[in-house]
Amino acid sequence: MRAVQTASLLVALATLTAASAQSTVKVGAVTSLSGRFATFGQMQRAGFQVALDEINARGGVNGSKLELLLEDDASDTNKALNAAERLVNAGVPVVIGAYSSGITKPLSQYMARVKVPLLVATAVDETITKPGNAYTFRVNNQSSIYTRSLIEQLRKMGGMRTAVILTSNDAFGKSVLSDAKKLLPGGGFTVLSQDTYDKGLADFRPLLNRYKSQNPDVVIFASYEEDAVALAKQVKEVGLAPRVIAGIATGFALPEFLRGAGAAAENYLVTMVWNPDVKYPGAQNLYTRLKKALNGEEPSQHAAQSYAAMLAAADAIRRGGTDPEGVRAALAQTKLNTAFGPVSFRTYGGYQNQNSVVGLVTQIQKGQFVTVAPATAARGKVVFPKPR
Amino acid sequence: MTVTAPLPAARPRALTFGNVWLSLALLAVMLLYPFVFGKALNFGVSTLVFAGLAMSWNILGGWAGQLSLGHAAFVGVGAYTMTLLATPERVPAFLGGPVAPWWGALIGMGLAVLLAAVWGALTFRLRGSYFVLSSIAVALVLRLVAINEEFTGGSEGLFMPELPTLFGLDLFDRRVEYGLALAFVALTLLVTHLLRRSRLGYALQAVREDEDGARALGIDPARMKLVAFMLSAALTALGGSLYAVYLQAFEPHTLLELPVSVQIALMAIIGGRASIQGPVIGALLLATFGEVFRTVFASANLLIYGVLILAVTLFAPNGVLGLFRRGGRKLGTAR
Amino acid sequence: MDQAAVTALLQTLAQGLLTGGLYALIGTGLSLIFGVMRVINFAHGDFLAIGMFITLALFRAFNLDPYLSLLVAAPVGFALGFVIQRFVLARLGDRLSEGSMLATLGIGLIVSNTLLLTFGAQPQNINVPYATNTFQLGGVQVSIPLLIAGLGTALAIAGLNLLLYRTELGRAIRATAQNPLGAELQGVKTTNIQAIVFGLGVAFAAIAGVLLMPLLYAFPTVGENYTTKAFIVTVLGGLGNLPGAIAGGLVLGVVESLGAFYISNNYRDAYGLVAFLLVLLLRPEGLFGRTVKRV
Repeated sequence: MRAVQTASLLVALATLTAASAQSTVKVGAVTSLSGRFATFGQMQRAGFQVALDEINARGGVNGSKLELLLEDDASDTNKALNAAERLVNAGVPVVIGAYSSGITKPLSQYMARVKVPLLVATAVDETITKPGNAYTFRVNNQSSIYTRSLIEQLRKMGGMRTAVILTSNDAFGKSVLSDAKKLLPGGGFTVLSQDTYDKGLADFRPLLNRYKSQNPDVVIFASYEEDAVALAKQVKEVGLAPRVIAGIATGFALPEFLRGAGAAAENYLVTMVWNPDVKYPGAQNLYTRLKKALNGEEPSQHAAQSYAAMLAAADAIRRGGTDPEGVRAALAQTKLNTAFGPVSFRTYGGYQNQNSVVGLVTQIQKGQFVTVAPATAARGKVVFPKPR
Repeated sequence: MTVTAPLPAARPRALTFGNVWLSLALLAVMLLYPFVFGKALNFGVSTLVFAGLAMSWNILGGWAGQLSLGHAAFVGVGAYTMTLLATPERVPAFLGGPVAPWWGALIGMGLAVLLAAVWGALTFRLRGSYFVLSSIAVALVLRLVAINEEFTGGSEGLFMPELPTLFGLDLFDRRVEYGLALAFVALTLLVTHLLRRSRLGYALQAVREDEDGARALGIDPARMKLVAFMLSAALTALGGSLYAVYLQAFEPHTLLELPVSVQIALMAIIGGRASIQGPVIGALLLATFGEVFRTVFASANLLIYGVLILAVTLFAPNGVLGLFRRGGRKLGTAR
Repeated sequence: MDQAAVTALLQTLAQGLLTGGLYALIGTGLSLIFGVMRVINFAHGDFLAIGMFITLALFRAFNLDPYLSLLVAAPVGFALGFVIQRFVLARLGDRLSEGSMLATLGIGLIVSNTLLLTFGAQPQNINVPYATNTFQLGGVQVSIPLLIAGLGTALAIAGLNLLLYRTELGRAIRATAQNPLGAELQGVKTTNIQAIVFGLGVAFAAIAGVLLMPLLYAFPTVGENYTTKAFIVTVLGGLGNLPGAIAGGLVLGVVESLGAFYISNNYRDAYGLVAFLLVLLLRPEGLFGRTVKRV
């Protein structure tokens, strides 16, 4: 009797050991769970988790469970590099990260030096993949996508001739500004004013007054995350009423903007690369799962981007094994269709290993983002001209 | 009359302690680090760079007693000069091609000295709080220039180009960078030790303790402070160049911010401004705390800076090293 | 100039003055503390953030109108400042000035990180229906919340003036500012007076935070921006010079607005910083140093 017990215990132990020997496949991620970018870090974490659950529910990767080693960079470059080093030491074949472009750039340089691929999910700075390096792959779009899709949409709406642009003075804002300056004249627009502003006390009134006196057809904003609401309020306050007001991603694309700006934001065009109503298969379902992972908070596009990045990482490990070089080779061959949209990494137009992401134009209608362009993804029709 | 041979007994109270042996011991520990923690070199390099920056800051902040919260400007001058000169597309045409990083770093130091000379000459007439405020303002103006001008790469910042090898060593190899960072810390320690024994050092100590008394001895306080500022700026810029090589990509929004200046100053102050090795100890301590707190209590990781700085000002005005003052004094008097 | 250009100029001036009023309120608290204790308070912006978050929390919990939170934020700010001065800064004793400055730097970090742990990093705002309301005055649009903020500033500063020049406490404060030892000899409890002054300074910061909340947003590290602005304002007016701080705030508001409207916004913050440096170098007593009395 006793012997049987011992034997069964031994069997149980053996199974356990076998299970742990079979062990897990690890993937690393660095994001800002604390510090000033923590909002986005939480979104990223939710995206990773939803993807992880999905992959493991389907049997994991090559028969083993996929495990995420998630490191916090505390919104600090040096800490991100320390975190990445820990992940590399832990033997992960690929790292996803980080949220901000300022942190991602040094990170991409480091990862290329240690020859482990970096999968970028949210950082939009052009220079991350232009020229980029052989070890950096980007799932999300480069910043110029936003501007291109917006100007395409404005051209289609027609009948507008003049525009003003106000952007933040960080890398993102500056590249939006330079893209817009380049592309607007081609779309038949005259640029009446172009300004950048520094983070700080958000008093835009003098600028908005100047725009009001110039009476442009289109006003384009790209702001620091926190300033979008203040901008919308002050536009209303000074009585600036162009035919179209457009916000480029970041703060404008956050659910918090809808809540904070309320009616002041009605009919704004907002560019982003993912929205729950988009016509990709599974998008609505992904939205539900992300919202659950966020304990009921509204997910932003960053969560969906991170979800797609995790799927791409798992897919690359499935095909390329757990060796960084194998994963890198596999990433280059990626062809995925996800609820975030298609993912493949190509080298084109000066970019390297860059996914081609479709830029969406949404319009805020009755307090919701409604995708209005491009036609293949749209659910609603644009309201134009803006009722005065 | 100048101070030529001050008596040990005449050395004022709250002055330097910690001696050559302590410096050598610290350097030995840092030398051993890569052999023990060879897999945590990112942490090692950045910590040593900041240790050296804190030491450099202390020449002005501790020795000359001029609190600066604008040293990020010199880090920026070093990082930008070296990187811009090494980048083929950005180097000024009359130089005829990219400049090797070591010459670039040297030029950066020169520019930092120049900046410090002008900045110091203008602002040392201001005493105490006014100097701190002016240092913040100068650094913030430089930050805006780096963001808004084209030649600096604007707000997108710069990527480090390929660099030539130094005596066959790859500058992007973390072990090489660790060696360079260690050499940087050693240099700042050496300079501080030499300074302590130099005429300038004695003059600065005299000025710091009693400015009017020092003037009566024929010391020109403004000039002494200016020299200390220039020295501090040059070393800080050197650290900035090294930091740029380590990061390989930087933006004005991350390199030139006020928190960077504050961080450098706090490391020195928490470690102990009146000591020789205090800044190094402060940097090691804060970096270790930061890394432990990053992995343990993620969100609160700057809270510790606040708590420590408050604790130090309240209970240990001479910094952490000052807590070991008694032992330190013994070390300090050993010649 | 045609009619539209004149209106635009008036509009910019009006808004610059109103924004300047807010700067003045932020600067007054800082200047008051410096005037009496010779301490530069590096946590000033963080105290302002506390005012913002109190407003936010009360609005979220009880749907309390933001302006009513003044009744909570001002006393809380005062109490906090009193305690900090009495039990932390006062202990620094002779090592005043520099030691206190470093201590406030530490306090600022503690405040902002505690806010971070409590409220999270994301910027938050409250959406009140009147946030974007305006009224017309000869073609010039005036924001109602901004005007309320301006009136609040005027009231707070007038109240402070009454306190300083019409009460016993005010006399004691002024005596402490001029000569702490002398005041002590006259029977003034200077440690209490200093704690009261620090409390007033923090209360001013908290009031500014409340008044800003309907217009802007709060996040834990928002204080950094305001601290720098407060420095600029007070130096323009002369450190410790209260009427100077008011004038400094208004000048800064108008200069920034005009600069942003007519010149360029890219260097907007540099206008203030350069003016600040010039004043520091050429007239450390402030733009209005000689013509008005100190605290």
